[in-house]
Amino acid sequence: MSADVRILAAEPGCHLFGDNGCGFTAPTIGMFFPEPWFANIPGSAGIDLYLVLLLVAVGAVLLLWSWFSRKLSLVPGRRQSVGELLILFIRDNITRPTMGEKGDKFIPFMTGIFSLILAMNFTGLIPGMLPVNSNLAFTVMFALTIYVMTIVIGIKHQGGWGYFRNQIFPPGMPKWIYVLVTPIEILSVFLIRPVTHALRLFATMFAGSLLLAVFAYGGWYMLNLTAEPMLAAVSVFYSGAALLGYIAFFVFEIAIMLIQAFVFTLLASLYLNQSLEAAH
Amino acid sequence: MLLELAAEPNILRIDWVKFTFGAIALAVVYFFVVRKSVPKVMKVLDERHDAIEGGIERAKKAEAEAEEIRQQYREKLEESHREYAQELEKAKEQRAAIIAEAREEAQVEAQRIIESAKAQIEADRQQAFVQLRGEIGTLSTELASRIVGETLSDSAAQTRVVDRFLEELGQDESAKQAEVR
Repeated sequence: MSADVRILAAEPGCHLFGDNGCGFTAPTIGMFFPEPWFANIPGSAGIDLYLVLLLVAVGAVLLLWSWFSRKLSLVPGRRQSVGELLILFIRDNITRPTMGEKGDKFIPFMTGIFSLILAMNFTGLIPGMLPVNSNLAFTVMFALTIYVMTIVIGIKHQGGWGYFRNQIFPPGMPKWIYVLVTPIEILSVFLIRPVTHALRLFATMFAGSLLLAVFAYGGWYMLNLTAEPMLAAVSVFYSGAALLGYIAFFVFEIAIMLIQAFVFTLLASLYLNQSLEAAH
Repeated sequence: MLLELAAEPNILRIDWVKFTFGAIALAVVYFFVVRKSVPKVMKVLDERHDAIEGGIERAKKAEAEAEEIRQQYREKLEESHREYAQELEKAKEQRAAIIAEAREEAQVEAQRIIESAKAQIEADRQQAFVQLRGEIGTLSTELASRIVGETLSDSAAQTRVVDRFLEELGQDESAKQAEVR
């Protein structure tokens, strides 16, 4: 891991129609490994930008929710309405459709996890920054938390053997089919599910920020005002096209961040529901 | 470039420091947002829901009460109508009964009057008869004495007349007596 890998921007002097003739350097995976300020931790990249962004995300979530829940009244103001809207959104779109009324006790948890994941995605919207969830460690932490919760709640609601039996021997099937179904279910429920739960969020954030970086780098590379007037005009046109693409994908990325936070929470709710009641 | 790619760190490696800080972040959010802020907002939501629901409930209750009262009123009205009709019927019956009774009484009274009148008449007749009989005796005696006085010269004839008269009188008397009885 050399230091130059971590350099985010391309060579500053490298532009389209430039004299030095250097080509475009696309952003690399190195952009997801910012220079750590404190690197002497064994087995870790150290304290780096991700942890600062995490702090920002958590701070934003705490501030926002303490603001939402301040001076509450039966007749809500605009501020309170937004908080209520978010809770009702979680209830009507996540917990009620997956768990029904009995899932109402998970509304606060789902609201919290949705808010935190969304904030950790939105840090990628700050220019030059990354979504916190573009690092696998955080999404694995979330997925593992949900995984442990599903097992603990499943055992609590269906009994130790009962939960595992319902998961690997889905009831209401002919006996012989379990030969086929049980290995698949074991693999799916206890291995593939948590892994994909973590990877999905990570991959979309990772790819999305990489895409935005490509547009940003490309736009910057193609802008060359020091070239001949004709070529400079062409470079401005190219660069403008890249900027438009960047803006379009920026908006698209906002949608993806929202959707992925929603999907993660929805899946968490779905998995928890299987712990609350036996599979159909 | 190729060397760089080869040297690039693995994005799938899980950094335990980041994992730990992520877990701490989640715990912080859990204690402040999941346990405090969101339930506070939800409580107000529930309270409002209760208030609205309660309002609707109260309105429904009031409506039900009004309906019940209306029903009661209607029943009472019907009942009083029925009672009125019954009273009317009863009154009619009573009137008929009173009239019938009065008529009967009047008939009885009339009968009684007729009876008493008959009795009175009978008594009067009786009395008159008794009186008449007495007077007839006197009158006849007087008549006889006059007749006798005028024809006293003829003593033989006198004797005969008196005898005959007495005889006849005696017969008459007994016959009349029997008749009266």
